[in-house]
Amino acid sequence: MLKQRLYQRYWQLLSHYLDKRQPAADKVRLVQKLIFILPTRYGWWFVLLIALLYLLGTNYQNNLILLLCYLLLSVFLVSIVLVYQNMSGLTLQCRHAAEGFAGTKTTVAVNLSSDKKHFMLNMHFVQPYNTNPYNTKQNETVLLSQPATTASLNLVGTKRGKYALPRIKITSQYPFGLWRAWSYVALAQYYWVYPSPDADKSAVNLSSDAASQQAKTDAGETLAPYRAGDSVRHMVWKRLARDPANPVVRQQHFSAQAEPSWVVVPALSGDALERALRYACQQLLQLEQSGSSYGLKLPALTLPQAKGPQHLQRCLQELALC
Amino acid sequence: MLTQQMLQQKKLLLCWAAIQLSLLLLLQQAFAGWVIAIFALLLLYRLLSIFQAKAAVSLKLVNLLAGIIAITFFLQLRQAGVLHFMLQILLLAAIARLLALQHLYEARQLVWVHYFLIACCFILHQDMLIALLIFLVFAANLYSHYRLFSPSVSRLNWRQSGRSLLIILPLWLAMFLLFPRLPPFWQIPNANIASTGLSDTLDPGSIEQLVQDDSLAFRVEFDGALPPRQQLYWRARLYEDFDGRRWQVNALRQNASRQRAPDNAADSSLSYRVIAEASQQTGLFALATPVTSSSNVFISPGGLLSSSKPVSQRLSYQVSGSLIPVMLISEQEQQLNLRTAAGNPQTQQFAYQLKQQYPQSHALVQALAEHFRQQPFYYSLTPPPLGSNSIDAFLFDSRTGFCSHYASASAVILRHAGIAARVVGGYQGGNWHPQQGYLAVRQREAHAWVEYLDNGVWQPFDPTAAVAPERILNSLDSALPEDQRALLDPGWRQLALLQNVRQQLMHLDYYWSVWVLGFNENSQQQLWHNLYRHLPAIAYAVAVLFSIIIVLLLYYRLTRSSTGNTPEATKQLYRYLGKALAAKPPSLSVSAFLLQYVSHSPGQNVCLKQLTALYEQALYKEDAVALKQLKQYLQCHKAELGRLRRAIKNT
Repeated sequence: MLKQRLYQRYWQLLSHYLDKRQPAADKVRLVQKLIFILPTRYGWWFVLLIALLYLLGTNYQNNLILLLCYLLLSVFLVSIVLVYQNMSGLTLQCRHAAEGFAGTKTTVAVNLSSDKKHFMLNMHFVQPYNTNPYNTKQNETVLLSQPATTASLNLVGTKRGKYALPRIKITSQYPFGLWRAWSYVALAQYYWVYPSPDADKSAVNLSSDAASQQAKTDAGETLAPYRAGDSVRHMVWKRLARDPANPVVRQQHFSAQAEPSWVVVPALSGDALERALRYACQQLLQLEQSGSSYGLKLPALTLPQAKGPQHLQRCLQELALC
Repeated sequence: MLTQQMLQQKKLLLCWAAIQLSLLLLLQQAFAGWVIAIFALLLLYRLLSIFQAKAAVSLKLVNLLAGIIAITFFLQLRQAGVLHFMLQILLLAAIARLLALQHLYEARQLVWVHYFLIACCFILHQDMLIALLIFLVFAANLYSHYRLFSPSVSRLNWRQSGRSLLIILPLWLAMFLLFPRLPPFWQIPNANIASTGLSDTLDPGSIEQLVQDDSLAFRVEFDGALPPRQQLYWRARLYEDFDGRRWQVNALRQNASRQRAPDNAADSSLSYRVIAEASQQTGLFALATPVTSSSNVFISPGGLLSSSKPVSQRLSYQVSGSLIPVMLISEQEQQLNLRTAAGNPQTQQFAYQLKQQYPQSHALVQALAEHFRQQPFYYSLTPPPLGSNSIDAFLFDSRTGFCSHYASASAVILRHAGIAARVVGGYQGGNWHPQQGYLAVRQREAHAWVEYLDNGVWQPFDPTAAVAPERILNSLDSALPEDQRALLDPGWRQLALLQNVRQQLMHLDYYWSVWVLGFNENSQQQLWHNLYRHLPAIAYAVAVLFSIIIVLLLYYRLTRSSTGNTPEATKQLYRYLGKALAAKPPSLSVSAFLLQYVSHSPGQNVCLKQLTALYEQALYKEDAVALKQLKQYLQCHKAELGRLRRAIKNT
């Protein structure tokens, strides 16, 4: 726990420094001031090897061992330049805001462009603030062993909303694994985490019951014969028991709830709101899949009826921001 | 996932197996026969399993096996010596790792151990050709190291590696030349290898064996002219104890080898540098009386040179001295060399006769030489075996012997005649290479002669020179009869071409040992000194070079920054329509500016529209195909573009 807190503190300081050094930008080209280089663990072993060889060569007064030692040392030093060259000049860009549902992986496509070839790049998002204790290291690393134009990085969003893209950590040890070059890249882009679709409608039911009771007192309700597609929730069960041949449903004319192509999120708060949003999300997805046009009614905003992926996206975004 | 793929690459596994095989061959000197057999078996098994694509052996089994082998190595520790034990354990670790290789980190450890073992090969080998081979093995290991960290399918980027090599080479050489050199930090275990060259005992017959060895003993570079051949007696050993059959180095000498002789102000007219081959002995070589030497060797009171520890690798040292014979050190030394052994009655008798005839020691020696010259004495590599009174049997019976027989007999005669005398072992002559300017002394130049005391000076006397003067003036080959010469020269060596190649290689090896192996603190100091002396010139050169580079860089930056931001499509357009586009107001984009003229000049209508369309495609869509088309279009429609330019100008 202490380790985690220390790490968070460290990351705070680091990101403060990084924000000054590289504020988020649309397109980031890896240049000298963005690339950090330090020896890897294997690099330190290599240093030990060089030191041992120097001792051996000096003690035996053996020039050839010394020659080999210096050769290794120059390989070690030159690999700083090589590892830098393998990183520098890479341009990262994220053209489209990524989207995903809470609790699942959100895939962010990062465009890579360069006039050189880059090998063995490791990339992942850095999110130390992630609240889920089980996946502090959740963002799995993507390895691009060959030059590529896009990298699909995964992000785990736990809470719905619109977030700025976290920094991408991109590392490489390419030629000899003696040095690690890395960079934290901030791209000016957002990603959306939508509420996860959930068929549990308890929150909505509660509220709709409250609303219908209110409706009863306000305007009353009319009864209508059942038509295919009518919600079973509005079935008048007592009448059905008496006369099973003619099912009757309640109809509330003033209430959008009654209209099947409207998705309504009642004015709730807290956990109930979350559940309502999850249900609404499920509805939206179903409606889009069925091909009918639909609209969204939020406490503060109403989106007119339409259909198509763009409309769905708009609706989901509103849900995420609600 | 990726690592598994990588480790299953046959090529990489084969590369490691080949590296280990060559390490085994290179280090075989350090291993006993059964150790080599174990390693070879393990490697063979691994190679078979690679070819049959079997999975790696389980780690437990390999650990068990390696543990047992390591314990047996440990039990043999005393025989093998610490250094060899270390090499055995390291190679065992590497081979066992390869047998059970499963993870990437294990492969990294393997590469690390390989690097260390490759460096250890240089303890045992310093020849140029073998060193080149070792560097090749190193390159293979570096390649496998690279493979571990690079994508599994990509190929080596030759251009990049070439460029890296261009940086590495000067860096490497500069480090080697300029990095401070330190004296050894502590005493290190030496390789436990049989010594070569003269031994501490001189049997009748030991030198005959030595001269059949054609390997190099040492090389000498003279600062002045080469002394005459008759004076090239390289002293290495003083044999002073005689037991009636064999000569031995006195215990006093062995202990005294560390003492430095006082620097008595004798003249040191002769200065030379010796590069001694590894002999695993402390004894070194010098002419007559050495006066001063470089700090890595000692001059003992007897005028002999020795190093503080056995010479396990090529050793280079500087000596200055004179060709004056060695002085007597003490009364004790004289007494030591007057002792006689029992036996050899005929020789005693002969010595007394000589003594009575020639009371002067100088005259007596002359008479002895005359005796050898006039009586039918023969010089031979294959003398007959001698009985218990070996000196008698040689002098009065067989009269056939090699230099050790003559030296031994002469010293015994002189001692019986009351003259202090001793046998000196060393080398005589050598092969002079005038172009390269060095004298190569091989084991076959091994020789034994006598020193006798005359007026407090140890005068050299070589009885062989009396029997076979060609041996001294020319070489051993010319002193021996035809059939015995064949003993020295196996058939292939007589091929002229091979001989020539061998010679050239030897010369190259000489430069190698002078410039690479012999590079030491002194050479480095010399280098620094030279650098310091030419400091202004070097500083100017570096400054000029730097300023040129900076100017070039600035120029490059300027030209790039002026065009660097403009996209390729715009550049292309400006190349052909530059003059016309000069009239463009900055507020207008290029395509908008061009499209203005569509209405003005209907003749260029199609051309303009096509051009702007392609241009926009190339610029805003970053479409490489459109850019190519644009280039082609601009190239193919030069005439039309000319008309367009005029049209724009006229409006």
